[in-house]
Amino acid sequence: MNDISEQLPDQDAEAAAEPGQARIEITGLGKSYGSLQVFKDINLNFGEREIVTIVGPSGCGKTTLLRCIDGLLPVNEGAVQIDGDEIAQPREGVAMVFQHFGLFPWKTVEQNVAYGLKLAGVSKSEIQKKVPEYITLVGLGGFETSYPYELSGGMQQRCGLARALATEPHVLLMDEPFAAVDAQTREILQFELLRIWALRPMTMVFVTHSIEEAVLMGDRVVVLKGRPSSVFEIIEVNLPGPRDRSTLGHPRFAEIREHVWSTLMDEARAAEFEVN
Amino acid sequence: MTDAITVNGAKTGGAEISLANILWGTPVRAKLFAGLMILAVWQVGVALFAANFVAKPLNIIQVFPKVLADPAFQDAAISTLTAVFQGLAIALVAGTIVGVAMGRLKVFDRALNFYVNGFYTLPMIALLPLITIWFGYGADARLATIIFAGFFSIVINARDGARSVPPEYLEVCKAYRAPARYVWFDITVFSSLPYLIAGIRLAAGRALVGAVIAEFFVSLEGVGMYVLAHARSFKHNEAVVGVLALVAFGLLFELTINWVMRRYFPWYRREGRGE
Repeated sequence: MNDISEQLPDQDAEAAAEPGQARIEITGLGKSYGSLQVFKDINLNFGEREIVTIVGPSGCGKTTLLRCIDGLLPVNEGAVQIDGDEIAQPREGVAMVFQHFGLFPWKTVEQNVAYGLKLAGVSKSEIQKKVPEYITLVGLGGFETSYPYELSGGMQQRCGLARALATEPHVLLMDEPFAAVDAQTREILQFELLRIWALRPMTMVFVTHSIEEAVLMGDRVVVLKGRPSSVFEIIEVNLPGPRDRSTLGHPRFAEIREHVWSTLMDEARAAEFEVN
Repeated sequence: MTDAITVNGAKTGGAEISLANILWGTPVRAKLFAGLMILAVWQVGVALFAANFVAKPLNIIQVFPKVLADPAFQDAAISTLTAVFQGLAIALVAGTIVGVAMGRLKVFDRALNFYVNGFYTLPMIALLPLITIWFGYGADARLATIIFAGFFSIVINARDGARSVPPEYLEVCKAYRAPARYVWFDITVFSSLPYLIAGIRLAAGRALVGAVIAEFFVSLEGVGMYVLAHARSFKHNEAVVGVLALVAFGLLFELTINWVMRRYFPWYRREGRGE
C-alpha cells in the first residue's frame, strides 16, 4: 500500500510535473547522533523545477534531512548529490529559508537581503540593482530601511525569503518556513510563495509538519515515518495548477490529505503513548 | 466622587493631604527630600562638631563657580577625561579582539581564560609601583593603569558574548558560506553588543578609579591630583568639588553610552521582543 495511485483515481496525469533530469539525488542516506539513529536508507530524487514537500511526525528528522541536503550537517551513510556533485557543505546555487527566519537584528531589511549576495562576492552596483528587485518581489517595498524588530513575523519571513531568492538559487530548501507565523499569515505566505515560484520556478524542497501545507504546495509529497524514520510513501499529488484557494476545496486535495493524515495518525498515537 | 476618602473626619477628595504624602508622594520628591536631609545633617553636624576646615555644603556651593572657572581645574579635568577616554578606547579595541578570539577559538580560551580571570581579580593598585617604574612617573603610567584597569573586564564580557552567539546566526552564516572574518567581526561582535556594553560600563568605572590613583601616586596633573593637593592644603571645599567632578564624569559616560546606543543602534533595546 505504498503506492497511493492504487487507491486514488489518477487525475490529470498530463499536468503532473515533468521532473526532467534529477537535480538532487539522495542515495542510502542515514544520519545518527551517537547511538540515536534519526533516519536511515533514504532514497529520493528531486527533479528540476519540482516542488517536493516532506511531511512527517515531529521528531522524525525531516529538518535534519533538509540540513543534510544543504550540507549544514554531515551524514553518516549514503550521499546527497546536487547536479552531480556530492554535498559535503553548503554550495552555490542552493539557498535555505529557516523556520527561525535567521535575520540579523542589527541589519535593515535591505542589508539582510543583501547578505547572501555580499558573501557571494557580487559587485556593489549589482547588489544595489538586485536588492530592491527582490524586496519588491516578496512584497516588502517601503520597508527597505526597517529593522527586523519593526516587522511582523510574516514580514520577517518575507525578508528571509528575499535573502534566499536574491542569490538566484536553482535549489530552494524551505525548513518549516511558516511554522512560526500565525495561521492567517501562513495561508497568505503559502500562496505568495506559489506566486513567486511561478515567476521564478526552481527545485524546491519544502519541509513541514502541516499535512495541508504539504499537499497544497507539493508536486509530490514524501511521507517520513518510523523510528528511525525512512521514506514510507511518495505521493504524486496531481492537483490542477495554478494552485490557489480553490485547490483547498478540490476533492483530490481532501482525499490525499485524509490519506496522509491516517498514515501519520497511527504513528502519532503510538508515539504519544510510547512516551509514558 | 466615588474615590473620595475620609481621613480624620475630613473629606479630601481623593489624594490624602498630609506631610507624609507631600514628602513621599512622588519618587522625585522623596529623592529630593532625602538629599536635602543629608545635606542639612552634614551642614549642621560639621558646624557643631567638626573642625573649621572640614567641607560644608553651603561653603561648597560658594566655591563651586570659582573652581569651575579656575583654569587649573579645567586643565585637570580635561587631562583626566582625555586619558580615561584614550585608555578605554584602547582597552575596548584590544579587549574585544582578545575576548572574541577566546570566545570563538577553544585553543585561545583554554590558554588564556585562567590568566584573564587572574588579572581581572588582581587589585591594580598593587601594580602601580611597578607600572610607574616601567612607564616612568608621567602620563604614560596613568594611561597604562587605565588600560590595565579596563582591559580585562572587556575581555571577559567579550568572551562571554562571543560564546553566546545564537546558533541560528551561525547556521545562517554557514548556509551562506560566510568566511571566518565575517563571522568574527560582523555576527559575533554585533550579537555580543549587550555583553560589550556591560563590559565597557564596568571598565569605565574601573578606569576612572585607575586614573585617580595613578594621579595620586605619580603626582600627575588631573582631577585626582587636584583633590589631593587641595585636601592637603586644607581647602576641603574645593577638594569636594573635584570629587563631584568625578561623579559627573561617571554620569556623563553613562549618558554618552545611552545616547550612542539610541542614535546608532536603534535595534538594540527592542531585540529581545522578537521570536
